[in-house]
Parts: sequence; structure tokens; C-alpha cells
Amino acid sequence: MSDKPVRVYQCEDNISGVLSAVYEAGISGYGHKYIKIQPLAANEIYELELFTEFVRVESSDEKVESVLDAVRNKISNRAYSFVMCAAVSTYSDRGDAIYQFLTYGFSMGDKVCDAIQIPWVKRAFEIRRRVFNEAHFFREFIRFREVQKDPALLVATIEPEHHILPIIMDHFSDRFAGEWFIILDKGHGEAAFHQKNGDWEVRILTTEEEKMLAELGEQREEYVELWKTFFKHIAIPDRKNEKLQRNMLPLHYRKNLTEFIEE
Amino acid sequence: MIFQENATLQQKIAILADAAKYDVACTSSGVERKSREGYLGNSFASGICHSFAADGRCISLLKILFTNECIYNCKYCVNRVSNDVPRATFTPDEVCTLTVEFYRRNYIEGLFLSSGIVDTPDYTMELICQALRKLRTEYRFHGYVHCKAIPGASSDLVEEAGWYADRMSVNLELPTEQGLRNLAPNKTRKKILTPMRQIQNGMAESRELLGMKGGNQSAYWHTQKRLGRALPGQTGKAVQELESAKAGNAEAGKAVEKMESAKADSPREERMIEKTGIAENKKNGSEERAKNTAGGIILPSGNGVGTGLAQWNRIDTSRGFVPAGQSTQMIVGASGESDYEIMAVTEALYQRFDLKRVFYSAFVNVNQDNALPMVEGQPLRRREHRLYQADFLLRYYGYQASELLSEERPFFNTCLDPKCDWALGHLEQFPVEVMTASYDALLRVPGIGAKSASRIVKARRTGTLDYQALKGMGVVMKRAIYFIICNGKKMYDFLKIDEDYITRNLLENDKNVMESFGEKVTYKQLTLFDDFQFGN
Ligand code: SF4
Repeated sequence: MSDKPVRVYQCEDNISGVLSAVYEAGISGYGHKYIKIQPLAANEIYELELFTEFVRVESSDEKVESVLDAVRNKISNRAYSFVMCAAVSTYSDRGDAIYQFLTYGFSMGDKVCDAIQIPWVKRAFEIRRRVFNEAHFFREFIRFREVQKDPALLVATIEPEHHILPIIMDHFSDRFAGEWFIILDKGHGEAAFHQKNGDWEVRILTTEEEKMLAELGEQREEYVELWKTFFKHIAIPDRKNEKLQRNMLPLHYRKNLTEFIEE
Repeated sequence: MIFQENATLQQKIAILADAAKYDVACTSSGVERKSREGYLGNSFASGICHSFAADGRCISLLKILFTNECIYNCKYCVNRVSNDVPRATFTPDEVCTLTVEFYRRNYIEGLFLSSGIVDTPDYTMELICQALRKLRTEYRFHGYVHCKAIPGASSDLVEEAGWYADRMSVNLELPTEQGLRNLAPNKTRKKILTPMRQIQNGMAESRELLGMKGGNQSAYWHTQKRLGRALPGQTGKAVQELESAKAGNAEAGKAVEKMESAKADSPREERMIEKTGIAENKKNGSEERAKNTAGGIILPSGNGVGTGLAQWNRIDTSRGFVPAGQSTQMIVGASGESDYEIMAVTEALYQRFDLKRVFYSAFVNVNQDNALPMVEGQPLRRREHRLYQADFLLRYYGYQASELLSEERPFFNTCLDPKCDWALGHLEQFPVEVMTASYDALLRVPGIGAKSASRIVKARRTGTLDYQALKGMGVVMKRAIYFIICNGKKMYDFLKIDEDYITRNLLENDKNVMESFGEKVTYKQLTLFDDFQFGN
């Protein structure tokens, strides 16, 4: 058996690519011990390995739907959330995590989600936790600016590691249902657009659009100073504790937070 | 007194945030509420922090005083009448605009409004009501609101505020009645407990008639329920049950017996509670007493308390009455009280007043007042930290105050956290077999928390666990290994179940106690399982 080559499914570096690869790997019957999934990021160079065969995966909506339907119908909604969280993450092993998680899932059913003593399940669990944690951070550490009045428009910029816009939009579209607002994910060149009392969608931006939105989101406005004043005065000087503050609110989250930006 | 007559909004924020900053409660948890058409905002059951201030504390709410003028002279307070500090007062519209505009920018979860006492308690409470009334009705704010009930204010005003607020709090201020007399001479225990009881009863009534309205029961409540103990707030029912037992209802009679015997289990605590003044009405006339102390609870009388909610048809009841529950805070280290007294009071507040949270605030001698101890910050903060740890054990793990401390040993161990300390005193209950131990037995193992315990319980149903797997579930091995076996095996053969041996090893591992268990418990809202939202 040692002479059987590892087969690497190479796919686009996005949700649809990864799930399409999971689909191809799943129907291949090649044996899950010999399968790897490799999302190909645009600017990276991948070395060819010996004793490895490569398969290029074409992305398609049918493949994606077929995987997701199977997860929902044959395993559970909980398993679906494991898969989706991994799919929106940016870890290079996310395809493997999904694929291997599912091979257990299709035999164990929903229980797979608790079986974190199995290494790949643990990995999927961990990815899901990290994605949820990041999404939660960006419910907390995100600031809007009112960049226009009549009608009012709010704009926020974030730079998350994973593609968490859809997760946080559930939250903000309810909270700010009556507002026009935009959240720009600067690193990934995507933005979510919300219409007052209406729907929202995530769009991929052109470089110019991204630049324009980023500038808009830095516009000065009157509440910035009031908020900074509050922020400064609510701390107890005798208890100053920068280390604790850094533990709770790591520096890289502060980049786009009004109270930490000098203007 | 320095008045800021024409203070700008910015100056007012500076003064009134400064004046509010010593209040420790800033959580926005306890109620899940979706948005409502034409209104701004919603609420998230486990609360959301929005930033962390330079002292490392979470900022969740716009925490401000309505005014920092005050006619009282509490010795520990910066705003007391005898202090010469800049004073300012918001208008109700300023409070509303700031709340709404900060909220829209996702700076905050909502408003936490407190106030110094201007003129009279009633006048002050009316100001708070005015601001909240506007905020809810004119500004159509649907996010989180926490406000103070002012001791001594009339029950009408307290009730009105309760219909606007999600959470209310009345500060206990000091753990003992004596401490209160010495340091806050204008306040009495009774004036503090009266609105607390009113809010508790109002919440119970509202829940019965309107439902939970997205609010949840306290972590303490859930824990007691899991352990099959009497639930907080049931004490209130016990009174009715006592009445109906007199009328010959046998079943209710049994319930009362149960309450009584639960009470008899801890005569010492009863004494302690009396001493701390939570039970002050016991000194009332004998008839009053028979009625008011039924089932071990004490109802302050007078002021129309207990007559229930009266404003159903005058007010928008769609959010329910104080749906996120009530909290309180006390100052630690200003009046010579012991940890045991504090924990006994805390437990009584959870049991008898059904509080959501009790907060502790290490005393800071802001006024350099001679009547007050000049303590160094660090030991006091460590003490505060221990209290939060113990509080956590009460609320989530089902420990009782009397298990952790006693009259003979009234202070927490400064070197070991209360859970380790307890385990070392109960080595006969260890080691625990991870594959078979109950959830509650797992919770009592140092190094295993609520999350890891529930992961273990779930995972072992799907297969056998080993030490590697436990590590992956978040068990803190360097603590747990002394107290567990897994599939009949110790992690290392040389481990001994011996108090000195384990203590030495734990301390070795744990040089900086402040860094180990729970700075998070103290400051950050526990997003996953505060108020019992188990994440996974
Ligand atoms: S009542 Fe006491 S604690 Fe409250 S503001 Fe006045 S002096 Fe301070």
C-alpha cells in the first residue's frame, strides 16, 4: 500500500473552490488516507512533490450545493456549521479539515461534532471556534462613522483574518435595521452593503472601489471627539494596566478603532 | 463647590464619566431581544464588550452619572457633598442623544445611568425616569439600558424606571450594616433592600404574566436547578405556600418543610446573615416577624412594597419589567469585614433576592479620608480577585459559601485559588475517574472548568479518552493531574494524593496568581457562558 501516491486536489482559494474539491475527493473513492486538498492562493508558489499526483478542480455551484445538502441532510445542522466555518476560514488545511471531518461524519452522524479526541475533528472544531471568536471580536471591535446625513450613511472598516462578513451581518442587519450602512473588509477586498429596512449583500470590490470606501470610512465627524473623551475618562488612573488591556484588546484589532486612532 | 455652568457637552462627558468610573458593573448581558420596526437596536443575551479602557476593564455601556451633585456625604465617594470637585449635570436630551449616537457607531451596547442625589431621592429618581422615558419613547432606543434605583425613592418611580430598564441595580455599598452606619450615614440597609425586594417581586410578577421577554434566569439559578436544590426566588413562593399550608394544602406544606429543613442545615449562615444586616427586619414586631420570616426570607414592609406592579396600562410593557435582572455591588476593604461575611451576604443575595450578579469593588481611598483605612492597592485587589473567583464557584459550580470559608477560617488563602484550596481540603473525594465521573464531580476538579467538563461528558460518549485528548479539551493539566485518573491510570505513576506534595507543586506552577485563573472572570464578560449560554 505504500506505493499508492498521495493525490492532491488543487482548487481555487475560495469557498466555492474548497467545497468543490471536497466534492471531487468525496466521489473519487480514492481512500481518505491518500487525499489532500490544496487551495491555490494567487501569489504563492507551490513545489511539486514526488510520489504525488495532482488533480485540478473546477469550481461549480452544483458541487458546492451537493456537498452542503449532504451535510445538512445526512449529518446535521451542527456539522453544517463546522463545514461552513472552515470554508470561510483562510487556513491552508481547511479543505483537508472539511474532507476528513466529513468522512467521519458520514459514518458517525451528528456525534462527530463532539468527538474531539479524533485529530481532524479536533482541527475542524478548532477552526470553527477561531472563526466564531473572530466574528465575535468584530461584533465588538468595529466602529462606524457617519459619513453622510440625509439620508444618513454609516461606514465601518475591518481587517479580519477570515471571511466573516456574512456571520457579522446577521447581527448588524438586525441591530441597525433602519440604517444604511457598509462594512468594508479591507484585507479581502469585500464589503457588505445594507439597505435601510431592507436586505444586505456581500460584494467583491474592485481596487478603486475598495480605496474609495476606505477613504470614506476615515472621514472626520463630531462624535469621534466625544467618544474619545468618554473613553479616556472612564478608566481609573490608579488601576492603569496596559498589559491587561492588551490581553483583552490585542493591538492588531485597534487599527481601525476610533478611540485608538490619532487624528 | 465648582459649578460648570456653561460646560460644553465634552466637558460634561469628562466630568460625569469620571464620576461614574468607580462603579464596577458594566455588563450588558441578561436579555436577548431582536430589533423592532421603527426602533434602533437589539440586545444580545451574553452581552457585548466594545472596548477596553486603559485600566483593562471592559467598556460595554455608556456609563455616566446624570449629575455628580450630591446632598449626601458617603465617606468613600468622590462626589460627596463635602468634596470640592467640578460638578456638572446633563439634560435628559443630552443623555438620549449621546446614547443613540454612540450606539449607532457601535461604540456601546447601551446606557448605564446612575446619579448623585439632588434635592431628594424622589427628585433624583424622577430625573432618571425622565431621561429613560425619552430614550425609549421619543428616541425609540431598543438597546440595553441599566439604571440605578435610588434608595429611598418612592415605589412608583422605581417601578416606572423598571419598565424602561433592562437591568436595575441598587448598591449594597458595604457588606455589613455597621460599615454602612459608619461610612454612609445617610443610607440604611432597609432603604437599600426595599427597592431591591420591590424589583425582585416586580420581575417575578412580570415573568408570570408577560413571560421572560428574552430575559434569562441567573447562572446561580441554573446551577441550583441542576443540583436539585431550592431555587432562588422560590423563597418568595414559600410565603404563599405557607399561607396555603395553613389552609390545609398538604403538598405546599411539604415544600415549606423542605425550605425549613434547608434552613436548619445552615444555622451558622443564618447567624452570619443576621449579623450582616440582610435580615434586619427580624427585629420587627412578633406578628410582622412571623409573616416576614417565613421560609427564611425577610420582606421589608411599608412603602406599598409587595403590592406589585401598578402601571401595566400606563406604560409600554413590551420589554417586560427589568428583563435582564438586577445586580448590586459592594466595596471591599473599607470597613473591616471578613471574606466569609462577604460571601455569606453574596449567597443570601443570590438566594433570597434572586440577583443576577454581585460585584465587588476593592476600596480606593479617593478622598484620603482619615475615617477610612489607608490600604495598599495590590493586596486589596488580590482579595477582590479571590472574591470574584469564589463568586464564580457559587454561581456556576454549585459551591456553598460555608464550604469555602467558615467562622474559624474567615479569609481566603492568598496563595491558592478557592477551588484548589477546597480540593486540597477534600482529598478524600479524589482522584476522580474522568470516564465515569458526573458533570458536577468533574467541575470540582481544579483545572477543569464548565467548558472542558461539558466537552468531556460529550466526547466520552463517542469513545475512550486519554490524557492527550483531555488537554485538547481545555483541561489545565498542570492542575488537574493530581486530582484525576483516566481509564484507571494516573498520568504519571509518581503522583501522590498528598496535601503538602500537591500544594507545593501547585504553587510552583503558579507563581503569579493574578495571571492564572480569571482576570477574565473579573473584567471581561464571559461571552460564552455568562448567564448560562453554553457555546457549543
Ligand atoms: S449618595 Fe453617596 S455614594 Fe452616591 S453619589 Fe452621593 S455621596 Fe456618592
